[in-house]
Amino acid sequence: MFDAVINNISYLMGGFWVTIKLAFFALAGGIPLGILVGLGRISSNKWVYYPVTLYVNIIRNIPLILVIFWFYFVMPIIIGSPLDPFPSAVISFIIFEATYFGEIIRAGYQSVSKGQIEAGYSTGLTYIQTTRYILIPIALRRMLPSMITQSIVTYQDTCLAFVIGLPELVRRATIVDTLEVRSIQLFGFVAIVFFITCYIGSVISRRFEVKREEGG
Amino acid sequence: MIEIRNMSKWYGDFQVLKDINEEVKEGQTVVVCGPSGSGKSTLLRCINGLEPFQKGEITVDGVSVNDPATNLYKLRTEIGMVFQRFELYPHMTALQNITLAPMKVRNWRRREAEAKAMELLERVGIPEKTHEYPANLSGGQQQRVAIARSLAMEPKIMMFDEPTSALDPEMIKEVLEVMTDLSKSGMTMIVVTHEMGFAREVADEIIFMDEGSIVERGTDISFFQNPKSPRTKDFLDKILI
Repeated sequence: MFDAVINNISYLMGGFWVTIKLAFFALAGGIPLGILVGLGRISSNKWVYYPVTLYVNIIRNIPLILVIFWFYFVMPIIIGSPLDPFPSAVISFIIFEATYFGEIIRAGYQSVSKGQIEAGYSTGLTYIQTTRYILIPIALRRMLPSMITQSIVTYQDTCLAFVIGLPELVRRATIVDTLEVRSIQLFGFVAIVFFITCYIGSVISRRFEVKREEGG
Repeated sequence: MIEIRNMSKWYGDFQVLKDINEEVKEGQTVVVCGPSGSGKSTLLRCINGLEPFQKGEITVDGVSVNDPATNLYKLRTEIGMVFQRFELYPHMTALQNITLAPMKVRNWRRREAEAKAMELLERVGIPEKTHEYPANLSGGQQQRVAIARSLAMEPKIMMFDEPTSALDPEMIKEVLEVMTDLSKSGMTMIVVTHEMGFAREVADEIIFMDEGSIVERGTDISFFQNPKSPRTKDFLDKILI
């Protein structure tokens, strides 16, 4: 029944590995950059705040698929040599996802009441102690579920990289399909792979949400 | 214990506090009342240096608050503050809320800090809530934990900023009882409140603020019976019903 999948399993799983690698690098770059973006968005320095805000607003109002396209086709003109699809996709994802992570971090930070910070100061805690024991733990707990959700979205979005010919899971399923013409089972298989991995992620996310309620 | 001399504060062009003079002696309880926006909370926040002020002087136990050489962190360990909205740390249990500052600021051992916290929870009447998170406590219980949190630093002064305004009527009493006991035990206190029953019972002085100035002051009952300004009379009529 899954003959086309079984016959091409190593080729398809190779694509899955590309998907995993792409998601890994997208998050490994996107989250740290997102932290910087988030800090920029709460900065009181206008030379930091305005450029970062402009960047966030531009990228968040462009579909991801266009960012991937644009970067892949424009960068060679700027740097003078063609770029491989993989690094090009990784950089596009980092640029795109950092804006979303940045907004999650900004919202988490702003959700901590000023009163809780002042309560810390009122008991004699220093700025560093207040940040370390009150601000960061509270903000982090509030951010975590959204961060995990956004990570799952990033992982799913990696399949958009097929538009620049990156041979990830979806792209490889398409290639196999043109040879074997088994669309339903091939894309059914891709859907199952994504479903299982994302479902695991959402279970983890929900556990953090429950924890947060227990802890206020 | 607290001396405020010719103190004024502005937010930009807007003057929130106008030439405030006040002295709180050791062991006294001073009640501050007045309409919202009259500068009561701002005055408290200036006393522990959460907000700067531009003119005059405040000294707490001989230490000048607005002297740039003053270590505000150290000063604040001597002044407990209780907020209208409790402001407990939501990620910590009642016990952890109370022990954080003694352990981090005073460098107490955990066992010492926890023993002190237990003693204080006993004192505010909720020893059974030691390991509860704030989300699982009623407003009155949260406020009592907040009072215990401030007391854990063994401050010389306690300030309360409308501590019962966010509470349901049936919880107001339990918080006021704790505050009354504290006042009677000799703690120096400044309390912003409209609970006139509390003021009658424990206040050594009641001051009435309006538009950033102290417009009336009195010791206990005289304040209620013959307010000098019509503004005070009008306000008292409203809150005494």
